Amino acid sequence: MSETNANILVMEGVSKAFPGVQALDNVDFTLRRGEIHCLVGENGAGKSTLIKVLTGVDQPDAGMIILDGNEIHSRSPQHAQTLGISTVYQEINLCPNLTVAENILLGREPRKWNGIDWVRMNAEAGEILKRVLDVDIDVTKLLGTYTVAIQQMVAIARALDITSAKILILDEPTSSLDEHEVQQLFKVMRKLREDGVGIIFITHFIGQVYEISDRITVLRNGLLIGTFDTSSLQRVELIAKMIGRSLDDLDEMSKIKLESSKHIRTEALLKADGLGRAGSISPFDLELHAGEVVGLAGLLGSGRTETANLLFGIDKPDTGSITYEGVEVTEYTPLASIKRGVALLPEDRKAEGVVDDLTVRENIVLAMQANNGWFNYLSVQEQYAIADKYIEILQIATPSPDQPVKNLSGGNQQKVILARWLATNPHLLILDEPTRGIDVGTKAEIQKLVLSLADEGKSCVFISSELEEVLRTSHRIIVLREREKVAEFSGEVDENTIIHAIAGSEA
Amino acid sequence: MLERVNKFISNNRKFIPIFSTAVLALAAYGIGAYFFVGMRNPQVFFNLFRNSSWLLISAVGSTLVILTGGIDLSVSGVVALTTVSSAVLLRDGWNAWGVILLMLAMGMTLGAIMGSFIVYLKVQPFIATLAGMWFARGMCFFISDDAVTIDDRLFRILGKTKILIPGLTEIAANQGNPAPYISIPVIVAFIVLIVGIYITQFTRFGRTVYAIGGNEGRNEQSARLMGLRVDRTKLLVYTFNGFCSALAGLALALFVYSGHGLYAPGFELEVIASVVMGGTMLTGGSGYVIGTLFGVMVLAVTQALIQFIGSLSSWWTKIVIGVLTLIFIGVQTGLATRKDKYALTQDAEALQAAQIRRRRQAFVWGGFVIILVLGFIFVPKLIGGNGSETTVSAACEVAPFREDEAARMIAEGAVIVYNRAAGPQCVDEIFAFYPDGRILGNDGTNQVESQVPPSEVEQLLTTISRDYEWYTDEIYNTYHNPCRQCFTHFIVMSHDGQEKAVTAVDGGVDMPPGYGLTLAIIRPLLPEITAGQ
Amino acid sequence: MRNHKKPSFTWRNIIESRLFFPLIALFLILLFDFIFVPGFFNIENRDGNLYGSLIDIFRNGSTVMLLAIGMTLVIATGGVDLSVGAVMAIAASVAGILMNPSALRNEVFFVTDPTYTFQPLWVVIGTALVVSIICGLWNGVLVAYMRIQPMVATLILMIAGRGIAQLITNGLRVQITYRPYAYIGQGWIILPFSLYLVAFVYALTWLLTRKTAIGMFIESVGINFRSSFFSGIDEKKIKLLVYTFCGLCAGIAGLVASSNIRTSDANNIGLTTELDAILAVVIGGGSMAGGRFSLLASMVGALVMQAITQSMYARGVPAFALQAIKALVVVFVILLFSEQVRGFIRGLSTKKKEV
Repeated sequence: MSETNANILVMEGVSKAFPGVQALDNVDFTLRRGEIHCLVGENGAGKSTLIKVLTGVDQPDAGMIILDGNEIHSRSPQHAQTLGISTVYQEINLCPNLTVAENILLGREPRKWNGIDWVRMNAEAGEILKRVLDVDIDVTKLLGTYTVAIQQMVAIARALDITSAKILILDEPTSSLDEHEVQQLFKVMRKLREDGVGIIFITHFIGQVYEISDRITVLRNGLLIGTFDTSSLQRVELIAKMIGRSLDDLDEMSKIKLESSKHIRTEALLKADGLGRAGSISPFDLELHAGEVVGLAGLLGSGRTETANLLFGIDKPDTGSITYEGVEVTEYTPLASIKRGVALLPEDRKAEGVVDDLTVRENIVLAMQANNGWFNYLSVQEQYAIADKYIEILQIATPSPDQPVKNLSGGNQQKVILARWLATNPHLLILDEPTRGIDVGTKAEIQKLVLSLADEGKSCVFISSELEEVLRTSHRIIVLREREKVAEFSGEVDENTIIHAIAGSEA
Repeated sequence: MLERVNKFISNNRKFIPIFSTAVLALAAYGIGAYFFVGMRNPQVFFNLFRNSSWLLISAVGSTLVILTGGIDLSVSGVVALTTVSSAVLLRDGWNAWGVILLMLAMGMTLGAIMGSFIVYLKVQPFIATLAGMWFARGMCFFISDDAVTIDDRLFRILGKTKILIPGLTEIAANQGNPAPYISIPVIVAFIVLIVGIYITQFTRFGRTVYAIGGNEGRNEQSARLMGLRVDRTKLLVYTFNGFCSALAGLALALFVYSGHGLYAPGFELEVIASVVMGGTMLTGGSGYVIGTLFGVMVLAVTQALIQFIGSLSSWWTKIVIGVLTLIFIGVQTGLATRKDKYALTQDAEALQAAQIRRRRQAFVWGGFVIILVLGFIFVPKLIGGNGSETTVSAACEVAPFREDEAARMIAEGAVIVYNRAAGPQCVDEIFAFYPDGRILGNDGTNQVESQVPPSEVEQLLTTISRDYEWYTDEIYNTYHNPCRQCFTHFIVMSHDGQEKAVTAVDGGVDMPPGYGLTLAIIRPLLPEITAGQ
Repeated sequence: MRNHKKPSFTWRNIIESRLFFPLIALFLILLFDFIFVPGFFNIENRDGNLYGSLIDIFRNGSTVMLLAIGMTLVIATGGVDLSVGAVMAIAASVAGILMNPSALRNEVFFVTDPTYTFQPLWVVIGTALVVSIICGLWNGVLVAYMRIQPMVATLILMIAGRGIAQLITNGLRVQITYRPYAYIGQGWIILPFSLYLVAFVYALTWLLTRKTAIGMFIESVGINFRSSFFSGIDEKKIKLLVYTFCGLCAGIAGLVASSNIRTSDANNIGLTTELDAILAVVIGGGSMAGGRFSLLASMVGALVMQAITQSMYARGVPAFALQAIKALVVVFVILLFSEQVRGFIRGLSTKKKEV
């Protein structure tokens, strides 16, 4: 069989830019018939953009997509479906208040003279499930009464039944499944592979990648790092490629000494004792000191953001306690944390950070004002003064402080949110992915800023998927894996060791 | 045994709201029948449907709209507009069937227009249909300021034909009672109900409706991704409801035999209440059309009970409905949010415990509701309001009925005395019909006298007493606080040794149809009272 | 340190200001009146007080202006309050009964003495306002703490509230004869007293929202409540506040309305006013999704609605035909603010720039 015939999908030189960020940069991707191909990369790597381009949600700036030998341009997800590209997302796009049979067949349901033929529809739906997925459930019950795992099956069944799908894209399907259900899904995927369907499987669970996939494609920062046969790529190597350098480079490098700081205090500013939350993060111990930057390293899904949220009071812990400046914390709310002098730069800038219709000035003073309360209003001059100060310090590119924040680029929006938290004069500043989606120059600025904050005597927690920057800015590194704290490093550390800790294997 | 009951309930969980409403309606009726002898007459039961055929028709249409997660507030306006338009067209001599078809087309058009606003211009359904209601009601007054009576033969046949219930006729005959009957609009209402059930259960259109509204309206995107024709379905749903509103308006017109822009005030809230009590959630996506039937029945039973108590003004109906709706919405939301929380727990035991807890709560709530309803009915009765209502209208002081004067006129030989007050011109007029054809009228200051052939007065008497059944239980007092610019009516008829006085008010649907017809044939004969006579 | 002047009066700033559209609308209506309604602008001076159609717009519009103030804040948080009309009726009923409780005994005792009142004025007004605050709290708890959709939650009070008002007056319309109370709606100090009341409430609200952090928090919660949460803003308390305040405004409006017609009419007071209030806010540029708000623009929106009503009356248009016209206004405004039209206009102006 020739090369082209074996490949059901070829994407060549695909590029896509959004204002301020190059989401995909000349990426190639091939998918063979009857293959399970994993697409991996941290957030912002470009995975979802690649899929959106393939399914027609976005249009590429450059590049070619060839499906089964023919060049295609998807105009919309429905169009992509007719071309033979089916997608099942993490949020099941079905109707939980309709029955399983309807969810599979609605739009093509069997009818008789007086309307929908329920008997035939139920029979057909059951038959489809059996045939395509080897699954046997009661199709007359409402979809919503089933677990997420079953709902996904139904989504897959619908997707595959509509057109004889050539490609099935599964976008993070296992996030809400337990082990048993994951195995069910894998059984179905293997059957589909046997039938010749090409499957693109996006997941952040490295274990699953190794369990089910034939090949792996790694993306990072919009660039294609490489496509590998799963059997010949070691886990450690994979992690290295995802978050940092190649393993060869690592082995060649000498040990790195983490930044030493003269200002680290010995007594703990914050102590977490057995702090944990069911389903988010296993109980852990943590100590944070003034003048110190602690880096939190780990892959997506390892529990970093959950840890940050617990420390800041977004979520309440189920076990353990936090002691702040020697006093036990009783109130777990953002406002209480702010009053204590803790600040959190959240991971999701759009949903949790920016209030887009408000101006730069208002966004900057927002948390400070919340700290002051309803009636202790900062005068307008004071607000402008604060805004001007931080626009200057962080070099925020905006024509004036009265610009609505939504008009700023992503990087500058991030700076505004950072300014907001700096303005509260915190003792402890937690930064969750502060450099994601930001240009290189600003990244360096922010990293330098974090170190200088530590020099001033603040305590910082720095969370990032980029191991490089964690290494560059931290005095201590804590490694999380699968929602558990697994290691802590300080002083001199071998980068290799850290990657092994993240990967979960011995060096 | 308990185990099996539990299993049965959990398998048919979705029907619980409907079931509880049906039980409530029948229980309330049963209790009423226990206390009031009159309610044991099967005709009263059938009258529930005769008196709410338009509500049922409109509620079915609105159920579909609400299932998509939308809402239609224009129904009362379209109903009123239909009554006025048809009345005026019939008066101007249009063919009755043509009028009916035209009204339905009008309703569909209005619905389609509002639907386009909602679907294509992305206007919130609440605002779009509100504008529609204002517009429709406003249009009524462009057509006619006053109530216009309907006196068309076809309409009379459609509204007055009694359809006997097979099986019950013989039983009634054995008991010496008149055979119970229903009317054509009731049949039409049930047809609409069946059509609604069919649409929602057996057509792709209906299933798309559910798909759109599911997950509290967040499902719309999913429905689109599934390839369903969301926009077209939404547009059709509002068009269908426009059709139902117009049909409801016709049913109303066939009951009161007149049309006025003030009719059906607050009707949209009654419709919403029926739908909600029928188990359909306002957020959309869940509910059954059959439930709406029971919701309508609850409203009808409430109204009947209040009528039988007699001492309460009909506004109490609105309070009771409001409270019931409140309870239903509250319970619905409470159960819904609780369901979400527990859906996430994979723990089977926790789920089970939660279900049992919920079931117990449902029973407690149900019991609470029934007690509340009974309380509202009987507490005021015990306190004993005597219904003397002096109304002080800001714009117009409604004159009390001139009962003494009427009695005097009857004593002097009048056969029909008609006293009307208020209205747009704030009048206080009394007219007396004599067997010799004289008609005397006065408004307290001025007098008027006119003459008609005695046979015409004779004809009036026969028609009113025989055809409109003046002296039977069909005609009863329905007086309550009049709305602004509404007329109050007081008619006494003395004929064949019988004398009966009955009061009524414009602007509601309480007026018995026979009364409306009586007004219709009396009104043209009334002379005008002008100053200086 | 940079010096930030107030935004200058360029054409661009004026057109984009929130006040532009409602003021233009008001101007057009008054222009219409000037041309087609003779004597509309006549202002009489009787004993030092000014009267005239123009003054009437303000006087009759004061209830809607009061409602619009409260409604603006509620809509700014992304909600809506349908119960304001019912709360008006409740407040009016409470006030009426406290001045003349004879209705409770099922008699109607016609008071002829204008200085008679069962309870002193401050008790009457105070109780009515406290009751309306409780109604607002009720709505606030349902929306903020029980997480019921605002439309559904306030619908409950809208239906039941009229019944409650009826209960308070025992189903009767209570006549109001106490002169000092009637002053609220009918008093005159050069200009109608209710106008001063509106100005006072507006000033108070402006202080409360713009001279404290509350205004900024309301807007923040309306735009993105999760980001606001992360910034330490307690969204629940803000929502509770705005619904309670809206209830208070409705209560004040109820007092004005009942004093105007000298009756506590549980049936009719405030009927359809909730819609007028929502429309006033929409005309004033408020988005129903929440966010930025402008009290002044909403009040101008209320004046626009009232001006339309007044002009139609002056032209002899009957009361109910007015509803149809209001409907058309609603449609027109919505079309104007809709995305499609806005995009079209933006497209036009960018084309101009290119040329």
